[in-house]
Amino acid sequence: MTAFDQQYLSQITTSTTPAWRRSQMEGAYRVFTALDEPTGAEEDWRYVEFDHTFAELEPVAQAGAPLESGPFVASLPERSGHVLIVDGQVLEHHSDVATVLRLNDLDADPGFPALVPVDHNKLTAAHAAFSTDGVSVEVTPGTVMDTPLVVEVQGSIPGTVSFPHLRVRVGEDAEASVLVAYRSADGARLLMVPKIDLEVGDGGRLRFLSVQGIDHAATSVVHQRATLGRDSTSRIGEIGLGGRLGRLDLGVSLVGDGSSSEVVGLYFGEGDQTLDYRMVIDHQGRSTTSDVFLKGAVEDDAQSVFTGLLRIEKDAARTSTFETNRNLVLSENAKAHSVPNLEILCNDVICGHASSVGPLESEHLYYLRSRGLTLERAERLLIRGFFQEVIDRLPIGGLEEPVSQEVFRRFITAQAEGRVA
Amino acid sequence: MTGALEVRGLSAGVDGKEILDGLDLVVSFGEVHALMGPNGSGKSTLCHVLTGKAGYRVSGQASLEGEDLLALEVDQRSRLGLLQSFQYPTEVRGVSLRDFMIEAAEERGLSEGEALSRIETEAARFDMTRFLDRSLNNDLSGGEKKRSEIFQIAVLRPRMALLDEIDSGLDIDAVKQVARAVEEMRAPDLGVLMITHYNRILRYVTPDRIHVMIDGRIVDSGGAELAEELEAGGYKAIRERLGLIETSSEPARRPADFFTDTPFDVK
Repeated sequence: MTAFDQQYLSQITTSTTPAWRRSQMEGAYRVFTALDEPTGAEEDWRYVEFDHTFAELEPVAQAGAPLESGPFVASLPERSGHVLIVDGQVLEHHSDVATVLRLNDLDADPGFPALVPVDHNKLTAAHAAFSTDGVSVEVTPGTVMDTPLVVEVQGSIPGTVSFPHLRVRVGEDAEASVLVAYRSADGARLLMVPKIDLEVGDGGRLRFLSVQGIDHAATSVVHQRATLGRDSTSRIGEIGLGGRLGRLDLGVSLVGDGSSSEVVGLYFGEGDQTLDYRMVIDHQGRSTTSDVFLKGAVEDDAQSVFTGLLRIEKDAARTSTFETNRNLVLSENAKAHSVPNLEILCNDVICGHASSVGPLESEHLYYLRSRGLTLERAERLLIRGFFQEVIDRLPIGGLEEPVSQEVFRRFITAQAEGRVA
Repeated sequence: MTGALEVRGLSAGVDGKEILDGLDLVVSFGEVHALMGPNGSGKSTLCHVLTGKAGYRVSGQASLEGEDLLALEVDQRSRLGLLQSFQYPTEVRGVSLRDFMIEAAEERGLSEGEALSRIETEAARFDMTRFLDRSLNNDLSGGEKKRSEIFQIAVLRPRMALLDEIDSGLDIDAVKQVARAVEEMRAPDLGVLMITHYNRILRYVTPDRIHVMIDGRIVDSGGAELAEELEAGGYKAIRERLGLIETSSEPARRPADFFTDTPFDVK
């Protein structure tokens, strides 16, 4: 079994690896060895059990066969390009509109800042040390992508950890549209540690949607960062359905004056899933706006976590920011943790948050039933309505129907089997 | 008795407090009755208990066309033909009025096509068309909410409509509009119980019978002369005539949770 050790590191840094890159990887490796796997005691891993160790996982030697695209990608009416990353290795990359480059080219471009710090945790250090492949999507200034670039990120080999890497750079006044679909092989216990870097130039617009649909046996820990230039706009969507543990660690930095960010998402946990969202929205520029709108449901023994920090830096005058996190807890043993937070270092701001955790509202059920809807029918209508608000706001169109169907299917199956109270 | 809502010796309480005290009431199909009473007399509780809201201790009898209402679930009572218009209809985001009505009509055995055409017709009649695809009761004015409630009754065609505080919070034009709608609802196979605190709506609707409710009981029933007596001397005059002592003037507990978007808000 190949271990994540010095020997493996030497093996993946070949004679063609530039010196700076080699030293970057070695530096990251030292951080990696110095850190432990998250135990759940760390503040930003609270409530979560990360039950993998690098000692029991292997690197990927050769990517497996691609999986089927699945219902979400299949339902997309049009696309402007395709990227396929299997087990961390790029198997396909092309676009009609954007320039899509493969990793070795990333190596040649040390100018791109690492948006996630290497020492953020053991997983980000591992990514920096061992990731050897990836894709960079460049949308040149003024270019508009009308239809999304589809990026399929898949894990196929049990017992492995893979480090997919995607970055999207939206040039000045350009517009990008990117759909990322995560999937993994049925029943395969594996770990995916994707890193997503999003950079939106001045006046640029980004629409980005990820559908996390990995198998319930797999774990995915995504580190995703966005940095926004002046007067730019980013709309990030997240649909969380898969994983024994599905975690999204998201940071949006509103660096440029007048930039604006919207993050919308829905999640639905069943079985013993943990769906885990950690978000930091960092307002640095002046007159920036942001909105986080996340709704989720948990049934069976599933749990969800949302921690959302709105940070407003000292010079970020005229910031306007809000976050909403609503959770439905549908079974007795299911749990939802919702922790919105504000850190305000500037006093010229408008901000707020709303958070709720609870069952379907009895007043709503009563009202619907008073019109003759059976309890089951009233519940179904309320579940649909609960998620509809998010589905209506997804940044990329065309997925409304399969998303709505999947969420609904989870509920009605559980309802029919008496797993929801 | 068939063809009627019949209530006999109905008592109800909540949190150790008695609200309804052996109430008797019969509303025949084809008739419009008004139930009037001061705040805290138990009018809304009567609606909730008949509709089947949880949380009340209930004894006595209530039947619709001879069917025991109290033995049924909320939705069963509704499908049997009892429909309440709410004083504070709850807002449900993400669920459109149209979808809600389609589901409710389907529960009553209508096909989707039949439901849709009835919805269109009644929406045009009650000027609700522009609200059909909006979230249920969301961002509606007081008058629009009442109109929406009456529209729902028109779509679902109950045998017995309970109109809880149908005129409260409305300006005079809206009251007239609601009154006109109530008069239009009149039908041989529909009974209407219109609950109101104020007698002003009675200037525009002529009920077949007026009941006065005080301290959880119907204390008097009659015709237009009762409305005139109330208009002239208020509930005080009625109390004096009947020799009723004013008890606690504590207002009724309002179901404040009707207002909230969600009771779990942490702000």
